[in-house]
This record gives sequence, C-alpha cells and structure tokens, in this order.
Amino acid sequence: MKSRCSGSLIAICVLASFTAWGQRIQPAQDIPSQNPRAQNAPAQNAPVQSGSSVNGGDFSTITEPTSEGIVPKDTIIVKGAWSSASDSTTSLPEAASLTNNVFTDEYFGITYPLPSGWFQKFTPPPPSDSGRYVLAQLGRSGSFQLGQSDSSGSIMFAAQDMFFTPLPAANARQFVSYSRNHLPDYYQVELKPTQTTVGGQPFMFFAYWSPDAELHWYVLATQIRCHTVEIVLMNRDPKAMEELVRDMSNKMKLPAEASLTGGTGGGSVPVCIKDYAAGENVLERVEPVLTQQRHNAIPVRIIIDKQGQVRHMHFLSAYPEQQKVISDALKQWKFRPYERNGQRLEVETGIMFGAAPPAVLATDRTTD
Amino acid sequence: MTRRNIRILTLTIATLFLAGTAFAQINDPGVRSTTGVNAGQPLASVSANPADLAFFNAGLGQFNEQQTVTGDNPGLGPRFNLDGCGGCHSQPAPGGTSPSANIFPNVGPNPQSQAIANGLVSSSTNTIPSFVTATGPVREARFPFFFNANGTANVNNPNGGVEDLFTVSGRADAGTCSLTQPGFAAAQAANNLIFRIPTPVFGSGLMSNIDDSTLLKNQAAQAGNAFGVAGAFNRNGNDGTISRFGWKAQNKSLLLFAGEAYNVEMGITNEIFMQDRPLPGEDGAGGTGQTGLPANCLNLAKIGYPEDITHSNGTDASSSASDITLFKVFMEDLAPPTPSTTVPGGSTSISRGRTLFSSVGCAVCHTPSLTTQPSHLTAGLGNATANLFSDLEVHHMGTGLADNVSQGGAGGDQFRTAPLWGLGQRIFFLHDGRTNNLVTAINAHGSNGSEANASLNAAAALSLTDQQNLINFLRSL
Ligand code: HEC
Ligand code: HEC
Repeated sequence: MKSRCSGSLIAICVLASFTAWGQRIQPAQDIPSQNPRAQNAPAQNAPVQSGSSVNGGDFSTITEPTSEGIVPKDTIIVKGAWSSASDSTTSLPEAASLTNNVFTDEYFGITYPLPSGWFQKFTPPPPSDSGRYVLAQLGRSGSFQLGQSDSSGSIMFAAQDMFFTPLPAANARQFVSYSRNHLPDYYQVELKPTQTTVGGQPFMFFAYWSPDAELHWYVLATQIRCHTVEIVLMNRDPKAMEELVRDMSNKMKLPAEASLTGGTGGGSVPVCIKDYAAGENVLERVEPVLTQQRHNAIPVRIIIDKQGQVRHMHFLSAYPEQQKVISDALKQWKFRPYERNGQRLEVETGIMFGAAPPAVLATDRTTD
Repeated sequence: MTRRNIRILTLTIATLFLAGTAFAQINDPGVRSTTGVNAGQPLASVSANPADLAFFNAGLGQFNEQQTVTGDNPGLGPRFNLDGCGGCHSQPAPGGTSPSANIFPNVGPNPQSQAIANGLVSSSTNTIPSFVTATGPVREARFPFFFNANGTANVNNPNGGVEDLFTVSGRADAGTCSLTQPGFAAAQAANNLIFRIPTPVFGSGLMSNIDDSTLLKNQAAQAGNAFGVAGAFNRNGNDGTISRFGWKAQNKSLLLFAGEAYNVEMGITNEIFMQDRPLPGEDGAGGTGQTGLPANCLNLAKIGYPEDITHSNGTDASSSASDITLFKVFMEDLAPPTPSTTVPGGSTSISRGRTLFSSVGCAVCHTPSLTTQPSHLTAGLGNATANLFSDLEVHHMGTGLADNVSQGGAGGDQFRTAPLWGLGQRIFFLHDGRTNNLVTAINAHGSNGSEANASLNAAAALSLTDQQNLINFLRSL
C-alpha cells in the first residue's frame, strides 16, 4: 500500500511501514518448546466457542480414521499425462518384468537371466511424451544412496520409440552416432561406436568415461519393432562391465529381427512402419476434439489389423480426457490394410496428437 | 566356533563397522555463514539507475510490510497464511525462503509459529497447527483430496488447493466475521495433508525473461541422455506458453504469482485476483454444496474491491503502482545469489564438485545456465547468463516425493527441477521442506518412478571424497 498514505495520514503510515519483520521476532531463547506436539497438541483444532462460526471448506473432524479413510502412502494417485492402453492383453514396451531374477520384456521379445546379486531397487518412471522409456534399472548393492561409495555399478534397459523420437536418427545405428557426436565435453570416448553381437544379434557398442568421476559407461543398442533398445552399463571398473557384456552375450535372448538399421517387426509381431497413418493410407478419419489440456504432445502407438481397423492403442503420455477423446476418434478411423507380397499383415505405427514437440534441428542430422 | 570362523566373523564385523562409519564421511557443511549474506541485492543495472533503485526500494518496503484487516495497510483475510510476503520469504534476505532464529543469519523463528504471540490472530478462534513450529519451516498446507460426508478422504475427488492456516475471526478489526480453521488434525490423521515451503525469488527476473525457444532447445539438447531423463513443460492453459514459477512450474509470471500470493497467502484482493478467496470446498467445489465466504466476512476492509489498486493520485512510479506491481518490480530486480569460489571446502573441491555434478547426470535436469532474451526492463536482465541450475521442466520424481497435487499440466509426482542458485544459504530443502540436510535431499531423488534414479546411482558410485566435493559445490552456490 502506498499512496493511500496522503496528507495527515503520512505520519501514521510511515510508522506502520516501519513495523518491519525484525521487530516482531523474539530472541532465540524465547522460542517456546520446539516439540510441535508438546507446544500445540492440546489446543489443536479445538472447537470454536462461538455458535455462529462457519465451518467453511472441505472438512473432516475425524482424527482417528479407519484404514479406508487414510490416503495410501507412497502411491501416485493423482496422475498428470501418463501411459495407458486400450486393452490389457497386448504387450507394452514399458511392461518389463523381473521374475525369478529374469529380466523379461515381452513386447521386445527380450529375456535375460540376471547374474546373481542384481536386482531393481526402484521401478522406472513412466514413458515420456518424446517416446523415451526406461524399462528397468538394476543395481547390486542395496544403497543407491550418497554416503556409501557404491562400486557395484548399474544396468539400465531403455528404449526410444523411433516413431516419436525428437532426434534426427532413424535407427539404432544413427541413434548411437548421434549420442557419440553430442557427448558432453566432460566425457571422453573410450570406444567409438562399433558393431558387436549380443545374444547372437547385431548391436552398436559405444563406451565413454568421465575422468573426473572415474566412472565408465557402456552403451549397447539395437533396433527392435521400430524402437532403439539400449542397454546402458555404468561402473567404476570397466572389467566388471566387460564381464557383464560377455554374460549378456551368452545369455540374453533377443528376437531375430533385432538389427542396427532394420528391426521393423514382422513374423509373430506386427510390421512397424513410421508414419503409416498418413496420406492415402487413411481412408476414414475422425478428428478428436480436445477440450481441457491441449498443449502437450500425445504420442499414440497403434496396431492396425488386417481389415484396416485399429486393434490396439497405446498412449505413451496422455491426460485421461485426452485418452478417452482420442480413443473414441481412433476407433472410427479406417486404414488401407497393409499388404506385403500379396499378403495382408498387421501394421504398427505412431500418430502424434496434441502439440508435437519441435524436432531437434535437421542440421544436427547424423549419418551412419 | 573354529578359529577360521572367528576370523571371518571379526572381518565381517570390521566391514560392517566400516560401512557404518562410511556415512559419517560425507556431510552437509550447512548454511554458508562465513561469506556474509550473499543474496538480496538489486541487479547492478538497477543500482546504477536512481529511478529504478527507488522503485526497487519501494518494492522492498512493500514486500516487508505487514498488512492488517482495516487501516492503512488494509485487506488482510478473511483467511490467510501470514500478513506479509517478507515473513515467509526472508532467508537469508528479503526475497528468500523460510527463516530460522538459530541458523545464520538468524532471521528469526518461523513467523507463522508466532501468529498468536504477536497478536496477528486471536487465540480464542485460532490455534497454531501442529506442523507449524518455531524452528520452521514456514508452511503452506494443501489437502490432496476432498473428504467424504462421513469424514473419510475420497481419493476419487482430488482437491489440492491451498488451505489457509489462519482466520481473522476474533481480531478487533474483523467485525463479526467468524470462520473456523480447516481441520488440519483430521487431515493429517487421514494422511491427506501435504506441505509446500516458499521458493526463493532471487534471480527470478532472469528466470521470467528466458524465451520459450531457449527452454525447448535445451530440452532437445538433453534428448537421448544416458540417464533415462525426459521431462516435460508445464504449459499455460490458455496460450500454451511455458509456465515456470512455483514448485510445479504452475505460474507463468512474477506479476501473476504476486497477485495470487497476495490473494491466497494474505487474503488481499488485487487487480488480477478480484475476490476474497474461500477455501477449496467453501466455494462449492468438490460437491460440498457451500456457496462461498459468508457475507459478514466480505469487504472487511470496508473500502470495496479490490483492496489493492493502482493509484490515480500517485505522484511517481512507486506511489502510483499497485502493491502487486511493487512486488513484481522488487522480485524481478533482485540479483541472483553470489556463489562462493572457496567456501566450503576450498576452490579445488568446489570446482571438482561442479564437474562431477555434470558427469553424474544432475545437470541433465539442473541445467547450469540459460541465456535470457533482450530486456526492456533493465539492462541486467537482458542477454544475460542465468546460472539457475534448472531446465524449468517438470519431471516425474517418484512415489517418495509425490504429493498427489496436480497443478496445470503437472501431475501428483511431477515437480519443476528446483533451481539451485542460492542453495548454500538455504536451510530447508525439497517442496515440503522435509529436510535441512543436503545429502538427504539428494537421496530423496531416488524412489519408484523417479526420473532421477540413474543419476542418483551414478552419484552414489563416486568415491566418498568426490561425493563430498559434490556437496561442497552445492553449498558454494
Ligand atoms: C505464508 C507464506 C508465504 C507468503 C506470505 C508469501 N509466500 Fe510466496 N511462496 C510461498 C510458498 C509456500 C511458495 C511455493 C508455492 C508452491 O509452488 O507451491 C511461494 C512461492 C512464491 C513465488 C514463486 C517463486 C519461484 O521461483 O517459484 C513467488 C514469485 C512468490 N512466492 C511471491 C510472493 C509474494 C509477492 C508474496 C506477497 C504478496 C508472497 N510470495 C507471500 C509462501 C509464501
Ligand atoms: C530428473 C531430474 C533431476 C535430476 C537428474 C536431479 N534432480 Fe535434483 N531436483 C529435481 C527436482 C524436480 C527437484 C525438486 C523436488 C521436490 O522438491 O520435490 C530437485 C531438487 C533438488 C535439490 C533440492 C533443492 C531445493 O530447492 O530444495 C537438490 C539439492 C538437488 N535437487 C540436487 C541434485 C543433485 C546433486 C543431483 C544429481 C545427483 C540431482 N539433483 C539430479 C530434479 C532432478
């Protein structure tokens, strides 16, 4: 408040504004008991005497609720944009599991029996609206916390949906060379992207380290079902990682399609084609009308059946209302059935609804 | 027991002992007190211009002013959390965050805990909620969910709005307005209560002056990182531009935040928040059937709405400006905190810690610096490097940090990467101020569903000496 202080009021105003914060602060020794309960518990929410008082707002007076009345701890109930699917039978990339210490991702057709001692302490975050997945993050010690130097390292399984990638990379090979070309300068390359084999399938292999942190990273990547699947190893000791890579090489099971520039499905899984849901392939189309949230990217991965109908929808990231409106619309879309060698095949593709994020500049394009 | 077994046992005990003491080897050096107060000054370009400096000082005065229901600084209530911006935003200088009487620079006890002692609220109608203590932190409370009629929390009916701690009822200047405080004890018993502590506003003018395209380019530059991090922006509902203030980046601008804070924290209506704010539910939301604040609690200042206005009889910028404009000017003109190059731990440790911070992936979210767009306000805000240590994105932080409050586009587990400038002189950390230990704050990054898990793993793989270097670096900020 300023200019209400006019004329004869000025003196009072000046006085009033001098009541600065410092003046009402009591000396430290005057602070009452610092135990909140002791200090306030008896008076806590004592009923107000005045009979006319208004009990406004959203209230409860139950201070000892039964278990149903208690909000569960450590549970994310109010979700923002999140992943969901139209059915619960079709496998999803993010639905990796760790049963009997075997890492399994049914969608990608990967299994890997973990060497003893490896486990997942924390489950990964949901997929991002740029098509980035963390499938599993494994460690060997129980800590994952500062205060104990944890030299046991980690394994992360990750994936990038190439329908939605913001990077100028069309396949696993380009994805890795992009990473190498954009490696921050505090890392040093130990092994430039090189072709190798894991579980009998081709992978790109790339290694770097941080001389300051004395940590090493190994990145192994292949392409499956139009996703770059990455295995990122981190450790202080490169020997331990070499051992892990050997173990993976022997024990990891991967689908036959896994390759550096192919990896486009087929066989027992749908063929995947980027941007299939465009142009003349779309015979009938109903636009979803978003009313609430409109400014986020909503990547939707769909499987089109042999009749040209949407059989499966996977929302990587969508608000509940968007999920509903878009699935209502997509159910009415009709596509040209995909044919190869005179045979109709199921096809998997991606459609970006909402406000698509800008792609990384094409001038950054990396080639093989 | 054979001798060999005894040897093994002794070894095991020795190892356990070592593991147990390992924790003691890294520690948070605490609030940096040996370098004076390193925040709270205006930008150099503001100091250099007498008119701008006068405007800043008027803003500072207004920021620290205490409001009353009627009188010369009118409009307080009917519901509020405190009577001045400067009470909550005070450590280590006006504009900062939650204070303490015992920790440098000893600003004072949590002012909310003194509300009865100081006569701000009446003890016959108000109690100090149990979670408000003299040692702090200052707290804003929210109920994630509405309650059912039978008093149980209804997880299908999200609430999340601010529940003001206090009412003016019983104050001499509040007339017959008689309101009760929200049922905090019941909400706490139902685990339906979350907290927010004040975010400091030093350097906020730089943050508001970063162009959206700069933020988008920075996001793109992190794509494909090896830590599994992929954040999103919280966007303004109407125009889709990137919002950036508050723990969930829920607010677009400083003026908007000032208007909202004046209204929500202090109950003062202004040109962008014209009505006295009822509690969530008191407004009828959540199916409570209520219809707003009772008539005898409205227009308590008896000057009509809004209580804070732009003054047509002003004689210069500051006497014409509304309070919310003064708040905005003060906040945007505040220079970012000055980091120390030597304290704590010495310059070698700090500069090493800075590199490690990037190497282990903290910088994927905590972007060390971003450049601002040209500024019409003051030279210091334009084409400047803002060393904010944030990408201003919201990230999934997992079940451990989730508060089940959705704001704008951010869900219950998403938070804005907290800017880290000024960290060296902060007392409380994380959105709810759950800890004053930096090590604990970093460890809280790890939980189910957190984007920061891999980065935390890498930090935990550092040698203890290097973990300490990382902490020293953070406390140098
Ligand atoms: C009762 C304590 C309290 C008072 C009084 C208060 N604030 Fe705050 N302030 C907070 C809290 C808590 C937050 C964090 C809110 C959130 O994001 O949930 C905050 C956040 C802010 C922010 C966001 C800064 C950022 O970068 O995120 C601004 C700006 C701000 N306050 C300005 C003000 C102004 C101006 C006033 C006076 C009109 C004020 N505040 C009064 C507690 C307070
Ligand atoms: C995935 C993004 C992400 C990564 C990676 C990350 N942080 Fe954070 N950080 C955040 C967010 C979001 C918050 C705010 C969380 C909250 O308050 O609930 C935060 C808060 C903090 C805080 C507390 C700041 C405050 O204002 O209270 C510190 C300190 C911190 N981070 C340090 C680190 C360090 C050190 C690392 C690396 C080991 C790191 N962060 C990695 C996103 C990240």
